[in-house]
Amino acid sequence: MQEGKKSKHEKALERKKGWGVESLPYPKGIALIDARWDLCIGCGYCEIACSMFHHGVINRELSRIRIYRYLLPAPKSVQNVCSQCPDKERECEKSCPLDPPVIRYDHERFHMVVDEERCLGQKCGRCAKACPAQIPRFYPSQQKATFVCDLCEKDGVRKPQCVEVCPAFALEFLEPSFPQHLQRIHPDDKAACLAERLNPLPRNVAQISPEELFGGKRS
Amino acid sequence: MNETTFTLLEVDLSTGEKHVVDVTKDMRTYCGGRGLGAKLLWDRVPAGTDPLSPENILYFGVGPLTGFVGSVVNVSALSPLTLLPGKSNMNGHFGVELIYAGYNAGLLLKGKANKPVYLYIKDDDVEIRDATHLWGKCNPDHQETLRSELRKDLDDQNFRIAAIGPAGEHMVRNASIDHDFYHHAARLGMGAVMGSKKVKAIAVKGSKAPSYQNPRLIYQVLLKFLKEGWEERVTARRWGHSVTMPTRYYKTTEGIKNKQLGWDPICDLSNPLKLEQGAKLWSDACNLCQVGCKVPYMRRKPPFSPTIGEIRHDNAGGWNANVMVAGYDPQTYLSTYVDVLGLDSEDVSGVVAWMMECYDRGLVTKEDLDDIELTWGNVEAICQLVKKIAFREGIGDKLAEGLKFAPALIEKADKRYAISHRGVAITSYEPRGNMADAVGLVVNPVGELHGARGNPERVICDSLTICFFVREDFPKYFGGLAGYARPMLEGTVGWKLSKRNWQNLILRASIMERCVSLREGYLPTRDDLLPDRFFDEVIYNKYGEPRSLDREKFFEMRKKTYLAFGLNEEGLPTKKRLRELGMDFVIPALEEKLGAAW
Repeated sequence: MQEGKKSKHEKALERKKGWGVESLPYPKGIALIDARWDLCIGCGYCEIACSMFHHGVINRELSRIRIYRYLLPAPKSVQNVCSQCPDKERECEKSCPLDPPVIRYDHERFHMVVDEERCLGQKCGRCAKACPAQIPRFYPSQQKATFVCDLCEKDGVRKPQCVEVCPAFALEFLEPSFPQHLQRIHPDDKAACLAERLNPLPRNVAQISPEELFGGKRS
Repeated sequence: MNETTFTLLEVDLSTGEKHVVDVTKDMRTYCGGRGLGAKLLWDRVPAGTDPLSPENILYFGVGPLTGFVGSVVNVSALSPLTLLPGKSNMNGHFGVELIYAGYNAGLLLKGKANKPVYLYIKDDDVEIRDATHLWGKCNPDHQETLRSELRKDLDDQNFRIAAIGPAGEHMVRNASIDHDFYHHAARLGMGAVMGSKKVKAIAVKGSKAPSYQNPRLIYQVLLKFLKEGWEERVTARRWGHSVTMPTRYYKTTEGIKNKQLGWDPICDLSNPLKLEQGAKLWSDACNLCQVGCKVPYMRRKPPFSPTIGEIRHDNAGGWNANVMVAGYDPQTYLSTYVDVLGLDSEDVSGVVAWMMECYDRGLVTKEDLDDIELTWGNVEAICQLVKKIAFREGIGDKLAEGLKFAPALIEKADKRYAISHRGVAITSYEPRGNMADAVGLVVNPVGELHGARGNPERVICDSLTICFFVREDFPKYFGGLAGYARPMLEGTVGWKLSKRNWQNLILRASIMERCVSLREGYLPTRDDLLPDRFFDEVIYNKYGEPRSLDREKFFEMRKKTYLAFGLNEEGLPTKKRLRELGMDFVIPALEEKLGAAW
């Protein structure tokens, strides 16, 4: 890479603390990654930022946040990430057959944790099935235990990498504004919700046909 | 550090055999994508093969940088439109899916299936499946049907699909391959080749771990580009590329009325601000690209509604003032309509513009056009004609042959008004506005007119494969393409290229393609020309200033460009250069073609 003079963009970035949501400091207590589906451009930087932070590799399959891509029929991507549900709504923790549960919420560090040694792996897979958005993930070829968003906590500091890199401001690290399990929506439902913006076109039709448009004069 | 091995998935449709081939050596020499595609054409397709016969290949090429800053797939085959090698790019997420499925040198199809099939690829699981139920379906209906069908066997995600529409099935010579709603490998008839092999679609899903050598280095380069290049491209995310059209009208670089005019008042009806504020849905990006220049629009306002569309100067190009269609609304409708049928928007609009001029001049009549009143800007008539072309009905059967063959079939129409370059329609470009554009259009060995495709730097981008749009930003942050590509190559595949080796890689990829073209009968000094109209007629811009193209200056500039491309003044690679690059094996075949004087 080229060294030397700094570009005007580099200088501008040095003056700036963050980019976009920087005016809000990262929350201290209960918090979650707030995904804005409408802004998601589906680039997938969040996925590789996540796999780089946790595993030091570039592999979207090892990411705790996933991008799902749909045809509505205009292509649209939506994110799927853990919403760090409140105690009574945490379906994954409730479903774990072990005691204490392998997948659970750490009340001191304010994020989900997984006891990797004890996890029964994909064969069990109850946590993923129990979660309405199927957020706990498995990647048996490289890791036995399930994995779920831990807000990139390291030595007590939470700095979610996906939020740091998102070029579209589609991810924010915030205190919950409403019961956070309401954000726990299956990506298919998110896509269905956004498809309403394309009403009245169904998923497999991009436009009114010329025959219909021009009054069925001739084909 | 080890170097990555490259595997190519080879599927013989005639026999149903599937092989995984190690092509590491060829990848190292020709870089992949477009460069490797040219090598495969040289090795596997005999000279003079009919592009629509089973002997032709269809190569979905990926390269060492596929999936970073876009995920380009370069599709290679002999082109039915020009009978020369054909290349076409398609972005989106298809390429990266091939990488995740473990085929980091791409997918090669050969032979011909005996009934409609689709190819199912999930990691190591490769199947040729029956596609009778998909045959005849339009875009994006075929993709959505296949997606929901395949999703049943799958735990989480959707497949990535590349498919052809009715035009590809009928082997219309300018048919496209569609991926998602607006990514198309459209130019040079790649869809017709896929249709000739009776392959309706290819569905890919990968879940393997890509074998990158140094992820930290890759991530560092990507983050640098992401953080510094972000602001540079923020407008592209806002507008997509719809803004380029009015700019080009004002620069006289966009064709008007089949290249008869330099300005028309309807040009001012294309206002990107109104389009954005009135109809923008959201921005959408290709893999690992922070730009997100795909901006779908939804039109609810009559008369052309409801319709979704994505407009940019090349995909919707041609459905603008070149056929006197006024403003973004009908343009969105038409560009989506040809996508639905699976045609190359740019090429078929050139065919329509040719017919329109002939109709206007009274050379062809309503009766010749199967009762279609093809007046300038008549959207209904365009839809009727385009549909006939896609299904090869009536006059459409002749027009489906493209501008290389159709003029001979329709004797009444005048060939001079078919504005093409070796059979590929010139629609969105107006060479009289800019000499660099004019020369950039012609000096490429594939007859591909999509903006300076013959440039070796362009060839290497298509070989690596990285998006050509963001390439323009590299000089600002990396000091040039090499500053980005060299560390990335080291990170992804472990190639440590010296400056000289990098230059040689560029030359080998671009010259290999030129050699295939020469073998198929291309002669640069004879073929790298523009239609006479551009030299003989003067056009005037909005302010009455003349724009013309001088023959002498054009030839002078063309000669300089050949030299800059590492060729001789006649646009041929010298034997010395070929030997230097280790490409001696092409010399006998070219000697036979070019004669002793070469």
